[in-house]
This record gives sequence, C-alpha cells and structure tokens, in this order.
Amino acid sequence: MIKSMIALAKMQFSQYNIYKSNFYLFTLNRIVEVIVYIFVWQAIYNQTGELAGGFSINQMITYYILSVTISPLVHWGINEDIAYSIRNGQINKELLNPISYFKYYFGINLGEMGFALVVGFATFIICSIFWSVVFPSSLGRFMMFIVVILLGIPITFFLQMIVGITGFYTNSIWGMKILRKAVISIFAGMIAPITLFPNWFQKLANILPFKELIYTPINIWLGQVPINDIYFIIIKQVIWAIILYSIAKIFFNHAVKKVTINGG
Amino acid sequence: MTRVLYNIKLYFSFLLASLKEILIYRVDCIVGVVSQIISQLVEIIFIWIAFQNTENLAGWNFKQVFLLYGITLIAIGIADFCFDALYYLGPKYIKQGEFDKIMLRPVHPLLSIIGSSRAFTAIGYLGLGFIITVTMFIELNIPITIFLILKILFFSIIGALIIGAINTICSITSFWTYRSNEFIWSFFKMYTFAQYPIDIYNKFIKILITVILPFAFVSYYPTMDYLGINTYMTYLSPIIAIILWIVAVKLWNFALKKYRSTGN
Amino acid sequence: MGIIEVKKLVKEYKVIQKEKGLLGYFKNLIHPKYKKFTAVNNININIEEGELVGYIGENGAGKSTTIKMLTGLLTPTSGEVIVNGLVPSEKRIENNKNIGAVFGQKTQLWWDLPVIESFRLIKKMYKIPENEYRKNLKRFTEILELEDLLEKQVKNLSLGQKMRCEIAATFMHNPKIVYLDEPTIGLDVLVKENIRKFIKDVNKEKNTTVILTTHDLKDIEDVCNRIILLDKGQIIYDGGKQEFKDIYGNYVIAEFIIKEKKQSIKESMNLDIIHILEETEKNLKIKFKHDETTIMKVMDEISKYCTIEDIHMKEPELEDILKDIYKGVHTNDKKYDSTSENAI
Repeated sequence: MIKSMIALAKMQFSQYNIYKSNFYLFTLNRIVEVIVYIFVWQAIYNQTGELAGGFSINQMITYYILSVTISPLVHWGINEDIAYSIRNGQINKELLNPISYFKYYFGINLGEMGFALVVGFATFIICSIFWSVVFPSSLGRFMMFIVVILLGIPITFFLQMIVGITGFYTNSIWGMKILRKAVISIFAGMIAPITLFPNWFQKLANILPFKELIYTPINIWLGQVPINDIYFIIIKQVIWAIILYSIAKIFFNHAVKKVTINGG
Repeated sequence: MTRVLYNIKLYFSFLLASLKEILIYRVDCIVGVVSQIISQLVEIIFIWIAFQNTENLAGWNFKQVFLLYGITLIAIGIADFCFDALYYLGPKYIKQGEFDKIMLRPVHPLLSIIGSSRAFTAIGYLGLGFIITVTMFIELNIPITIFLILKILFFSIIGALIIGAINTICSITSFWTYRSNEFIWSFFKMYTFAQYPIDIYNKFIKILITVILPFAFVSYYPTMDYLGINTYMTYLSPIIAIILWIVAVKLWNFALKKYRSTGN
Repeated sequence: MGIIEVKKLVKEYKVIQKEKGLLGYFKNLIHPKYKKFTAVNNININIEEGELVGYIGENGAGKSTTIKMLTGLLTPTSGEVIVNGLVPSEKRIENNKNIGAVFGQKTQLWWDLPVIESFRLIKKMYKIPENEYRKNLKRFTEILELEDLLEKQVKNLSLGQKMRCEIAATFMHNPKIVYLDEPTIGLDVLVKENIRKFIKDVNKEKNTTVILTTHDLKDIEDVCNRIILLDKGQIIYDGGKQEFKDIYGNYVIAEFIIKEKKQSIKESMNLDIIHILEETEKNLKIKFKHDETTIMKVMDEISKYCTIEDIHMKEPELEDILKDIYKGVHTNDKKYDSTSENAI
C-alpha cells in the first residue's frame, strides 16, 4: 500500500519534472510574489524605524521569504482534480485501481508536495542571496519547524478534498478553488503576520487550522514561539487532521455513492 | 489601414459571439465574478495592514495608494476580458489540436484566439476597481469631470493594450510547450509591482517595470497624472502601446512561421 | 459455478424531467420532477472462466450499464452480481485486483511520461512479481509491437499506438477477467487486427475471460465464441456465435447481375419465399432460406423475367443479421416480443 503510494508520488513528481520550464517559472512566480511585500515593508521600516508586530526588518523579510517558500505546500496539491475526475468520467478508470481512490490521490498529492518542496527550496536559496535571512537559533527549532510543516500536508490534502467535492456539487469548481486560496492566504498569515491583524481576527485564527500552515512554523523558525507551546500546536494539528479527515471521508463516500448509483 | 479596420470590425463580431455564449453559463459566471472579488481581498488587506504601520509609502498616502490600486484593477479588468484566451493557446488550442482548425479560417489566427476571449469574470475586477476609484477621488477631493472620466477611460484601454501586448509576446512559448499559460501568468503577475509607488523599489525593478515590461504605464503614470503629481509621463503610454503591439505581432508571426515549418 | 454470475439484475435511473423556458428552469431547480428509466431489466448471465463473450446491442441498450455493474462502478437497483466469488459493488478494491478494463478512449496512461513508466506504476500497484512482469512485458511488446513506443511520451502517441499500450497495461497484472468497452473505436484495420490477435492469444495462454463490447462486429466475429445480445435492457440472445447465425441467419444472400429485364421482378414474381432486397436494371439482390427452396429453383424463377449474367452468393455476416434484428424483422420471435416499453 505504502509502496503504491510512493510509486504514485514519484510518477506525479516526474510528470512535473518533464517540463524543466515549470520549475523555473514556478520559482520565478514565488519570487515575484515576495518582491512587492519586501519592498513595501522596507519602505515602511525606513520611514518609521519602529518594529511592526514585534518583528525587526530582517525578521519581517525572513517571514515573507519563508511564507512564499512554504506556500506551494499549502496551495498546490491535487486541488480540484477530483471534481474534474468525476465530471469527465475519469473517475471510472480510477475507481478500478487496486488501491482505494482516497489513497490513490494522497499518493499523487505527495508527488505534488515533493515538487512544491523543490520549488520552495530554490526560492529560499535565491531569496537569501538578495536579502539577509534570519536563521533559527537551534537545530531543535528547525526540526520543529519541519514537523509542523509536514503535519500540515494531510490537513491541506483533506481540505482540498472537501473543497474539490463541494466544487463538484455546486458546479463551480473554479470558484471554490479561488475561495479556498483566498481564505487560506488570509488566515494562514500569508499576507502578513497574524499579529498585525485586529484582535477578533487573531482569536478566530487561533481556532481555525490554517494558522499552523504558514504563520506558526515561521514563528517557530524566528524564535517567537516558546518550545513548550509547540506540543500544543502539534496536538491542535492532529485534532484538526482527524476532524478534516472525517469530513473529507464523508464527503468523498457520498460523492462515490452518487457516482455508483447515478453513474456520475 | 483598411486591413486594420477590417480586423477590428471582425474582432467585435467575435466578441458578440462570445457574449452570447456567456449568457448560457449564468450561474458559473456569478460564482466566477464573486470569487474574483474575493481573491482581491488579499491585496486590499495587505495595503490596509501596511498603512496600519505607516502614514505614507514613498510620499503616497493611504488614499492615493488605493486610488492607484483601483485604477490598476480597471485596466486589469479590461485586459482580462479582452485577452483571456491567450492563456488557452497552449493547453487548449495547440494541445488539443484546435489551433489547426483556427489556421484554416480566413482570419489571422491571433485575432481568432484573442477574439474568443470571454473572461466575463473580469466584471469583478472592473466593478471593484470602479468603486474604489470613485470613492478615492471623492475622498481626495478631486472633482470627477467629464474630461477626467474620458482620460481614465482612454488610459485604461491603453493600459489594457499594453498588458495584452505583453501577454501576446509571452504566449509565443505556446508553440513549443503546451503550458504557456504558466509562462504568461508569471510575467503578467509582475503588474502588481506597478500597484505601488515605484519609488519604493530598487533600480533594477524600476527599470524592469518602466522599460522592459512597461507595466508602470498601465496605471502608475496615469494615476500620477490624475493626482497632478506628474502630468507628462503618461502621454508616453499610447506610444508604448503601439510599439509593443508592433513588436508583438511581428514576433508572433515569426514564431507562427517557425511552428508551421517544423510542426510540433 | 461460473466466474461471473448475474441473477435478475435490474438498474433503474432517475432522470430529471426537463421543462422548457426560464420558468421551467427555476421550477426544476426547486422541485425537480423525476422520471424513472430502466436501463437494465432483469437479466441473467452466467459466464465460465476462459470464455470470450461478445456483448452487443444498439446504443442505449444497456451494455455500458451492465459492464459498470459487473466492475462495481454501479450499484444495481436489484438482483445479484457475483464476480469471482465477490460482490463487486461491495468489495470493489478486492475485485479490482482480479480484473482489467478498457473504457473507450479514457486512458490510465500518464500523459506526460514515457509509456514504460505507466507500466512500472501498474507493476507496483498490482504487486506484480518481477519475473512475471518481465515475461508479460516481453510477450505483450512482441504481439502488440510496442518496441519503439515504450520510451515515448504518451502525448506523442497516435490513437492506435495509445490503445495498444492501454491494452497491454490492462492485461499486465494477469487479470482473470477483462472488460473491453469499445477497444477498437476509431482505429484503423491493421491495429484492430493486431488487438484482436492479442486478445485471442492471451485468452489461449492464460485462460483470461474477456467481455467485449463493441460496435465493430468484425471484432466479435473474429474474437468471440459466445454472443449476448441486448435490446432495451433485456437479453434477447445468449449463446454460441455459430448457433446465433444458425437461428437468425439461416438464409443466403444472392446477388445477380442481370440484363434484358422484361418487367419488375418484385411485382411479378409469385414466390413469397424469396425476399428481394434490391432491384435495379442490372442488379438484383435477394435473400432466401435453404430449407425452403434451392438456388436452382430460385434461378429458374428469376430467369423467367430476365437473363442472368453472373451470380454471387454469400452467407450472412453478423452485421447483416443484427441489422435485421434491429429493424424488427424477427419481431415474430417470442423473446423479442416480450420486450415492452420500460420507461414509466
């Protein structure tokens, strides 16, 4: 089972890798995205000379560089593939695989994540040439940073499953995708550190599972989160993973049932 | 000249056909428009947060930056509506062989493709841009005269043409890779640079967005004119648009010739 | 006990009854009216291991619906499906390990990757032992002439090349049962023959059961030894291919080249055991049954009206027979008669 999933991940990865141009373009995309943020903040810091949200200028720059480094892991993935698969009948072929549809897509998702990692890594390297990046104070912190990010992978996968299937039902696959991206960008702290948002927003972000995708790991890296808090963060992630898995499974089973009763 | 006029007339008949097609997909359109607006929330929130930490950005205040943002949205909206189909040149037209059919028409293929644009969702950009622009003019105590409206209309269309020319040049990659949409998108995304006063950037980016990819002429210089800061640069926009289009069509024809002689 | 057992299988769909106009559109949105439609109506099938079954019928006869139920992609409304001892719609994954399927142009090959990569993935997913995989790959490459295709990207393959690879991929894990839904659609004659030969060879070597749905009756003629004919959701024939021909095709088609025709043969001939299919100044096409008359008698009769120059006789092919059946020539048959209107 695991072997099949790894094989699928490898396939998806090499499918991306066929187009070397993809790699350059996606990396360029990431850098373009970060440039605006960094220059705007540089202008602000030059003007005021104060800390914004408790971040120094270098920390702020590092925040945005890490944000665009990690964001492919959050935004990419199987996305709405499932919805399209149901719509165009490809699902019939995929349901006949000797592994479950859910696992099949998780394998493919892992391949996407592999490619996202490569692009993220390249983005980080290039950005750190142009701007001075703050590094984590200890190896332990770095490891925790990695752990929290990896735990985010199933969370985004389940989210994409749920949104994808909803997209199929509501018949607006594309609209749902944009909505998901916007919500995650805002609540994960991709636009700006969550501490810069109003209080009510911060409270909401504390409950929702998105903060741990971007904002929290970066703050672990920057040393803004006490080591002891990390265990609570991990517990929160696990709980959310279980909740989202259950919802995704219910949605998914319902969709498959619909296909197997009405023929899609 | 008559050939140009003939082509423009033809373009509008394509547009009419596209509009009729849109009406068939009503629900999808509404969702698309709404999600387009939601995706802009991300940008709006960032500007808002930036100005929570500073009074002005390179001498521009909150209202002025928002005006620039609104003016950009209008130009982007028009461009998106008119040139959207270029994104599909690679993945749809060439990959699925529809391009061969288009080449059999007694019309220049570039016109056929651009004419089939139907990004009705651009209404989202346009509406949002319009509301923000009007509000900011009122807030800034700038009287909205007929002359100003005509000027905005004129320079927005010129701005859209500049974007369209850049997209057209980027779309040339479609002849060799099916994934041209990502290529176009990567360069198109750089318009966001011109969404802020360009004085915040370093020399390299300033040159990039004024000379190499002249996005600054899409909205930045026109807005400076509306604000009365700098009133002569913007009159270069039409000239730049014409030059870019000549270059774009020449390059496109050259690439098409190559494509036809080698096949895919 | 057969490898596929189907008892009293029924599949009903609910179809939204469309109403006209904008008002109807909203009416449908709020309170859709459903219409029941029976796609498969009470069919029984029993297929033994190693059989080559041609599953035929007109568009909308219920072929694809049946195949989907056999593969577990559709849950039956009622009735029983047991494939290889399993109920496919309940134990789909388990069942998938034993089966292979081709659905028209839908491919399981990875568009951007070389063909061989897809084969390797299949090997991993089905846990095919290394030596078995190698053996199959070698053999399939040989029969289907895949040698030059394996390293090519799927997107660069032609339709026929893609289908050959797809067929190889489907048989790679030695499935016990293979469902082929329109495997030869849109392909040229040589590729079709190639694929037919492959199916026969694999069947002979591995005793694979094959259910073949196709519009090209040459496929059936060439590959299958049993025919199941479906019409309006019901089976109207199930049995050997030869017997099928004997029952429905026990006639001969004769084509005459004639001259000096004196009068319309159709109107003046008084033998009603000869059916005239076509009649022109120079040609005459007729059909008659062997047990009712002989060619000598027929010729005698015809030469009353004209001079026969040449004669060409042939046995009816499946296509001719089926055309007759679809046209309703055999409506006198009891089985056929029992098919009533199913839509409620």
